[in-house]
Amino acid sequence: MMMRRSGWIALALVLILFPLSFDNPYYEQLGSLVLLAAISASAWNLIGGYAGQVSVGNAVFFGAGAYMPLLFYKLWEVSPLYGFPAGIAVSVVIAVVIGIPTFRLSGHYFSMATIAVAELIRIVVSNWDFVGASIGLTGPAVARDWSDLVFRSSIPYYYMFLAVLTILLVMTYCIERSRFGYYLRALRSGERAARSLGVPVSRCKLYIFILSAIFTSLAGSLYAIKFGFADPASGFGILVSVNMVIVAALGGAGRLLGPLLGAVILIPLQSETNTLFGGGGTGFTYILYGGIIMLIARFEPGGLLELWERIRDRRASRRAVALKAALAEPSSQSQLGR
Amino acid sequence: MLLQAEDVGMYFGGFRAVDGASLTIEQGEIIGLIGPNGAGKSTFFNCLVGDLKPSKGRVMFDGHDVTNASPEEHAKLGIGRTFQLPATFEELTILENVMVGAFLRHPRVKDARENAQRVLDLTGLTALADQKAKSLGTPGRKRLEIARVLATEPKLMLLDEALAGLTPSEVQLAIDLVRQIHQSGITLVIVEHIMEVILSLTDRVLVFNQGKVIASGAPADVVNDPAVIEAYLGRSQNKKREQNK
Repeated sequence: MMMRRSGWIALALVLILFPLSFDNPYYEQLGSLVLLAAISASAWNLIGGYAGQVSVGNAVFFGAGAYMPLLFYKLWEVSPLYGFPAGIAVSVVIAVVIGIPTFRLSGHYFSMATIAVAELIRIVVSNWDFVGASIGLTGPAVARDWSDLVFRSSIPYYYMFLAVLTILLVMTYCIERSRFGYYLRALRSGERAARSLGVPVSRCKLYIFILSAIFTSLAGSLYAIKFGFADPASGFGILVSVNMVIVAALGGAGRLLGPLLGAVILIPLQSETNTLFGGGGTGFTYILYGGIIMLIARFEPGGLLELWERIRDRRASRRAVALKAALAEPSSQSQLGR
Repeated sequence: MLLQAEDVGMYFGGFRAVDGASLTIEQGEIIGLIGPNGAGKSTFFNCLVGDLKPSKGRVMFDGHDVTNASPEEHAKLGIGRTFQLPATFEELTILENVMVGAFLRHPRVKDARENAQRVLDLTGLTALADQKAKSLGTPGRKRLEIARVLATEPKLMLLDEALAGLTPSEVQLAIDLVRQIHQSGITLVIVEHIMEVILSLTDRVLVFNQGKVIASGAPADVVNDPAVIEAYLGRSQNKKREQNK
């Protein structure tokens, strides 16, 4: 997506100033949750959006990232920070194990393999006492020193998440503009044709999957230090994987800011429905997701950013033809109805 | 000798789609591969470009054994191919499509873009550079496929019915382009149905029928070969033709 410099500065300012503009813990918490969802969805976007290989098992990496810091704390009472690289290492190994056999095949094998491995690992973790079985793991309740990363306010977490999201998006931006980025878009468009032009398709898919695994794992670790807790459902549950897919697809899969936009819309919505329906509202999340999947698949596979770009392009071209016609144009309703 | 295929066979279960076909191509030739539908041309073609691994035989290219090499390795060694049904990258612009090819020899984005632009000039696509590939019609797509392959700087280019589905005037334009490519020093193999193309372009043709090469030689001789006429029109037609003479 092309955006003018002023647009980038405005976006950066909003993100930096957001928690400072409210003196309200609810909004600070919500902001940090939006950023966390944006990180994991942006990480998913690398493999699922840019490379077009729909992983429905990225929860494996999220879970590995969430469990490792807590496991390190449980075993040796060290700072959860030491668990970050361990989570990443485990995730990379899993990514390679899934990726090498499935990336030689095209089609849905990869998606199916990711679901299978994720569920398998969730069940193993749920029954393994070493990692807390179905109860899960907890981190330090009170900070012993700063390196435990336990803060009462959400604001420090907010800025930590913002920093990681920035690194991820800058990296994504660089990939988009590199040979690797062109190769990914080419193989998403047509693997056979890409191969015939010398694109090392399997290798490209494996590399981007590893990158996706690294940042998803990082998102999991950040989740663990924020909440100080992870169990099989919140770490490895299928809803964790689906959440990443929906957030990215709603905003625009394969677009730099798609996942962030999706998170900004979806996470507050989730939070609202949870407060509205209380404990009985968890089922509502599934209904909401189902509805969103149907709407995106039926009307706007490119997500909201593509919808917006199309409206903008059409407006611009109409304006060029006749200013009057453009002014009379009813904007969004007619687009949605198509 | 640029490419040499020896006794290549491709079997699908008990079905021998290609059954012992051989072919040698010298640097600078244009070779036509013709034959009725289902004769095994495309299967043979796919064996030459690495899309299929032959069940038997050997393919040598430029001193390398490429029998079991992947399509990527074929591209790297200098064998380019187009697809029967155009396989352009729909969501990419025309320039970007060609850049994907150019990246093979020019890893830097700037170099790849410059080279892609040069190829667009050559193939007459410059004016459309920033349009998405999906906006093109069939002739444009076929031209774009050729441009994309050219950008990989191949030594040998295999065109799989690159001219099928074009109107006569478009065919003429495409023939001019193919000539131009040949003049730039690229050896060509053309799989084609349109006789006009084969006759006007190629030095030598191979005729396929039922998985075997049934004739080869200069185009004008081959089209009068009784075995070839029989393959295309059947025996009775051939007899009628003989009687009419």
